[in-house]
Amino acid sequence: MSLSIRVAILFEIMRVTVRQLLGRRRTLLLLLLSALPILLAVVFRAAGEVSVNRFTRSAFDTVDMTILLPLVAILFGSGAFGAEADDGTLVYLLAKPVPRWVVVMAKAASATLMAIALTGTSTAIAGLIGLVPGGGDGVAATEAMVLAVVVGSACYACLFLAVSLFTRRALVIGIGYMLVWEGALSLLLPGIANLSIRQYALGAASAIFKLPIESSRLSAETAFILAAVLLVVSLVIATWRLMRFELPGGTD
Amino acid sequence: MSAPTPGVAGAPATAPVVSLAQGADLTIEVRHVARWYGNVVAVNDVSFGLGAGVTGLLGPNGAGKTTLLHMLAGFLAPSAGEILIRGRHPGRDPSVYRDIGLVPEREAVYPFLTGFEYVRFNARLQGLPRPGEAARDAIARVGLSDAADRAVGTYSKGMRQRVKVAGALVHDPRILLLDEPFNGMDPRQRLSMMELLGVMAEEGRTILFSSHILEEVERVGNQILVMVSGRLAASGDYRAIRALMTDRPHTILLRSSDDRALARALLGDPAVFAVELTSEGLSVRTAHLSVFRRLIAGVARGAGVRLTEVIPGDESLESVFDYLVRR
Repeated sequence: MSLSIRVAILFEIMRVTVRQLLGRRRTLLLLLLSALPILLAVVFRAAGEVSVNRFTRSAFDTVDMTILLPLVAILFGSGAFGAEADDGTLVYLLAKPVPRWVVVMAKAASATLMAIALTGTSTAIAGLIGLVPGGGDGVAATEAMVLAVVVGSACYACLFLAVSLFTRRALVIGIGYMLVWEGALSLLLPGIANLSIRQYALGAASAIFKLPIESSRLSAETAFILAAVLLVVSLVIATWRLMRFELPGGTD
Repeated sequence: MSAPTPGVAGAPATAPVVSLAQGADLTIEVRHVARWYGNVVAVNDVSFGLGAGVTGLLGPNGAGKTTLLHMLAGFLAPSAGEILIRGRHPGRDPSVYRDIGLVPEREAVYPFLTGFEYVRFNARLQGLPRPGEAARDAIARVGLSDAADRAVGTYSKGMRQRVKVAGALVHDPRILLLDEPFNGMDPRQRLSMMELLGVMAEEGRTILFSSHILEEVERVGNQILVMVSGRLAASGDYRAIRALMTDRPHTILLRSSDDRALARALLGDPAVFAVELTSEGLSVRTAHLSVFRRLIAGVARGAGVRLTEVIPGDESLESVFDYLVRR
């Protein structure tokens, strides 16, 4: 199979996956949720002068990084294969002469791009309203925030895409990870920064601008390396899982 | 490969490999295949070979038909034995799906796509050079052209079955595997699908479809494989197997004004080989049901007995299959 055909197949699977994800009711809820940072930025701006320090801590860290980014990316990641793996309808996709890694790449790219479209746009608009008019570090901080959600979107989406091929509870596990691991445990145990997507995202952002968020612990280099390792491992495991996909034999 | 067709395999220690193909042109080879889940054996030492033509895979629910089809399609690894699709192991190499069209029993996915988009999706994933054209052709073959631009989610069950078949044959595969393809179809749709399978088989394809309804199988498949409790109970020409099924012993319960007198009269008839007086009535065993049905009224009249009820015994397909296995 030539490269051009593989690329065409990749885009075809992406096209169908994006339509599949867009058709869900929860996507509408996510769209509403993604308006929250923009609303907050408007409120900040209306209240007068906004400092980078205050905005990143009160709006970006609290809403974008803690709620919007993980929730959106985990939902899209765990939903990219949807119920297909669980109910066996994945067979329509797999009974094709398509290498499994192409299927995984297409699904992962769809989920990541959808998450970036929502969280990236929301964060960028919030920065443009809340920070950029103030001048100073506003532009750099906005760029850093967008980079953080881009890196975070890819990591969350790919990790929970892989998880969804093992269990139907990927979404619950994802929300548990978000609340317990990244929310509570990371405050108590600073050492788990190396195993936190939130830390990878904030660390990566520091390549552009050091956001004044105290809990950020990783250097840009370390964050990029760990994020890349996570992405590769997630995609390899997902491909391995698809290669061993079995239809339930059922009772018949 | 030997060709003892038709035959009833029963439950031998090692089943013979039954070839239903003409000559050596086998597209599907199944050699001593078994699949088990823990202690549960779903498919047990099944062997057969198939070439071009339509073959019906008949068996009651729970016989292992779906498990076998999933193994043939490469989506379930055999616990033992070997499956070859045109000489290759399915499941190890996705390129085998150029040769296979699979129609699973589950309903079509992607309800938001139109019928045309769904079939074109299949065509594109097969890497066809003109996917739109191939999709239109496949949709026309299953008679769905009028509904091609409607969302699959709005289709009836029969239409969804047909669009799945269109998706499976869009790349013109040599082998078509269909799991209960007539489920949900009305009689007219069923007939046209049967005709389509016949035409595709005449074009040289190997078509294997599962069903638990004997009439479906005998109207389409000129050869059948009968599975019961995970084993291949019979294989070969459907007429021979049909004869085996209808000539099996039947038990009939009779109620009359004088069961004892009727029993005496029936024992003299060669079509009857056992009678038993029970509290329910007179239980009669016959090897020739149709002959017995013709003679019973005359025998009763001759004995001066008034028949009040004739109750056929267990006529379910399961009992027929059980008989085939016990033979």
